[in-house]
Amino acid sequence: MEQTFIDILRRALDEELARDASVHLLGEDVATGGAFGVTRGLAQKFGAQRVRNTPISEAAITGLATGAALCGLKPVLEIMFIDFATLAMDCLVNQTAKYRYMSGGQLAVPLVVRTQAGAAGGAAAQHSQSLEAWFIHVPGLVVVAPSSPAEAYGLLKSAIRLGDPVLFIEHKRLYAMKEALADSAALPPIGKARIARAGKDVTLIAYSAMVHGALDAAENLARAGISAEVIDLRTLVPLDMATIAASVTKTHRVLIAHEAVRNGGVGAEIAARIGTELFDELDAPVLRVGCPFAPIPFAPELERALLPGSADIVRAVRQLLGSAA
Amino acid sequence: MTLVAVEIPKIGLVMETARLVRWLKNVGDTVTVGEPLLEVETEKSIIEIEATVSGRLVEILMQPDQEAKVGDQIAWIDTGDAQPARPSAAEPPASGTKGALPSAVVFEAPVGERIRSTPVARRLAAEHGVDVARITGSGPRERVQLEDVRRAIGAQAAKEAPTVAARAPQGLSPMRRALARAMTLSNATIPQFTVERSVDVTMLQALRAEFSAALAQGSPTLSVNDFLLQAVARTLLEFPSLNATFSGDPESPDARIVNASGAHVGLVVAVENGLLVPIFHDVEQFGLAELARRRVDLVERGLKGRLKREELEGATFSISNLGAHGPDRFTAIINPPQSAILAVGRQRDAVVARYGTMEVRPICELTLAVDHRVADGRLASAFLARLVEILEDRDWRLK
Repeated sequence: MEQTFIDILRRALDEELARDASVHLLGEDVATGGAFGVTRGLAQKFGAQRVRNTPISEAAITGLATGAALCGLKPVLEIMFIDFATLAMDCLVNQTAKYRYMSGGQLAVPLVVRTQAGAAGGAAAQHSQSLEAWFIHVPGLVVVAPSSPAEAYGLLKSAIRLGDPVLFIEHKRLYAMKEALADSAALPPIGKARIARAGKDVTLIAYSAMVHGALDAAENLARAGISAEVIDLRTLVPLDMATIAASVTKTHRVLIAHEAVRNGGVGAEIAARIGTELFDELDAPVLRVGCPFAPIPFAPELERALLPGSADIVRAVRQLLGSAA
Repeated sequence: MTLVAVEIPKIGLVMETARLVRWLKNVGDTVTVGEPLLEVETEKSIIEIEATVSGRLVEILMQPDQEAKVGDQIAWIDTGDAQPARPSAAEPPASGTKGALPSAVVFEAPVGERIRSTPVARRLAAEHGVDVARITGSGPRERVQLEDVRRAIGAQAAKEAPTVAARAPQGLSPMRRALARAMTLSNATIPQFTVERSVDVTMLQALRAEFSAALAQGSPTLSVNDFLLQAVARTLLEFPSLNATFSGDPESPDARIVNASGAHVGLVVAVENGLLVPIFHDVEQFGLAELARRRVDLVERGLKGRLKREELEGATFSISNLGAHGPDRFTAIINPPQSAILAVGRQRDAVVARYGTMEVRPICELTLAVDHRVADGRLASAFLARLVEILEDRDWRLK
């Protein structure tokens, strides 16, 4: 049976709440379903103790969730829009990410922060950003960015069971995407990328919603006889360099695509590591596709114009493979 | 620290360039005055270049197989002295700059345009011994890409399959050197032309069998070469104008044609990595049996390197017979100062017109190369016609 991203996230949370009594849900309006309805009905099923509404203060509720995690619970905190995670930065960077290290391993923060990122339907400059690069810069935080409902199901469960703080970034444009879950599929490990499409001429590295842009581009390129391999990173920290290396060693050409701006983005980090670790494998400069260095506009036409997609990837791949173009 | 440049010295009057064969010292090695530093190949030979100062070899500016001009700087030696050994070489110049150094010793850095290539292309090229500089890149700004290297490797494999490992440059053996010198001199100074004829050897082979049977037990078997020697000797005596050598520069008043007395003929003998040309003097005085005996003796001693000096010079003419497995016909190069050489193709059956019908006869093709300064086409063709006549005749002197 096919289910939407939202329904499948709810199912994963439902199963984890049922499986482990220490799992709790916290966040603004989560008891009534949250901004997108992910937690709808869970408060009725598991009670107000385990599915709690919080005040509108990201700093406070992140501190609350971090404390609960330190004390042995496994909270799943929803921060409505990654844009508001700025308010929780002090706690996430200076507390949540640091406890295991500063306590010499005596303390752990088994906290999952679910948050929504990306542009969708004119949410404007303050509700459309892709700020994952800020978090990959912080040692101690795991950053997960699933690309589909089925992926999100397994990755969310793995994140809840990981035992360390995880920023779980859901793309708003994927929320309506439908997918059927495979029966009793094994949970994907955190830190392992997947080959979303096999190919031999060029490697397209993407994550979150941009995996679909890459897959569309690969389909388009295949019609021109270009075989593109698409890597869905799944987790940005830890980064699965082994999968990247295996692919680049095969194709010798790489493009990294994400919706976030290119400047200081995840692609910059990956490109640098490829340049350093796989220099001898490269047959062309590593290219990046990302958002121009500008805020996301409110006007839907401008938003569409700004957001990178499969057409940008196809163009870049042709540049990557092109001769003297 | 004081740096002294190592330069390519001028060795011999004509030397202008040298090719680096190999370094005998590595960077960091200590060298003393007079110690061989490297080997270079000049027009004449491979020579060692010695260190002119003592010290430590600190930088090598030239790699094997590169060419350098006399005076080029090829390395730096740190003498460790406080005072510069030579003021002009106190500090290495930035490549290409012409500072206080005399222009003759300025190192012209071989800095060509940088070849753009991708890392993986370079790696593959290195693995296959392909020079990326020789590949035309298809990438942006003519960057050499993986595909270009693969193509080049494919083309190379197609060209020289099966791949043979490149042999390192080798020095010349004395024989090879002498041969190279003689052949170069011949090609450069002797205007050579050739005339060709086929000879029917039916009679010659029949007589060879007949004569050999008549020889005393233990005598060497007669070879076609013995017949060739005798026939050439007789022809030479009939054509004294061709039994001569050209001497001197044609421009010079001293230039002259020196006629020989008697028939002195060389026979080309192939040996390991070279050839020998033992000379048969006064061939006209001997019968086939004696020529065979002398031939066996000369070849035997030649292979052992025991020929006397007079047995290697004094001829006007040579015979080169590549034997039964040789080509149908070929052209030989005159061995200076001789004035002609006869190249003898293999014996084979051929359809020939004879008395108005076609017959299959054993023939050899003869190619006579002649020094045009000594003789002209008419003389050469008359000579060859007469030689063929003698070879096809039954008039031979056995004893």
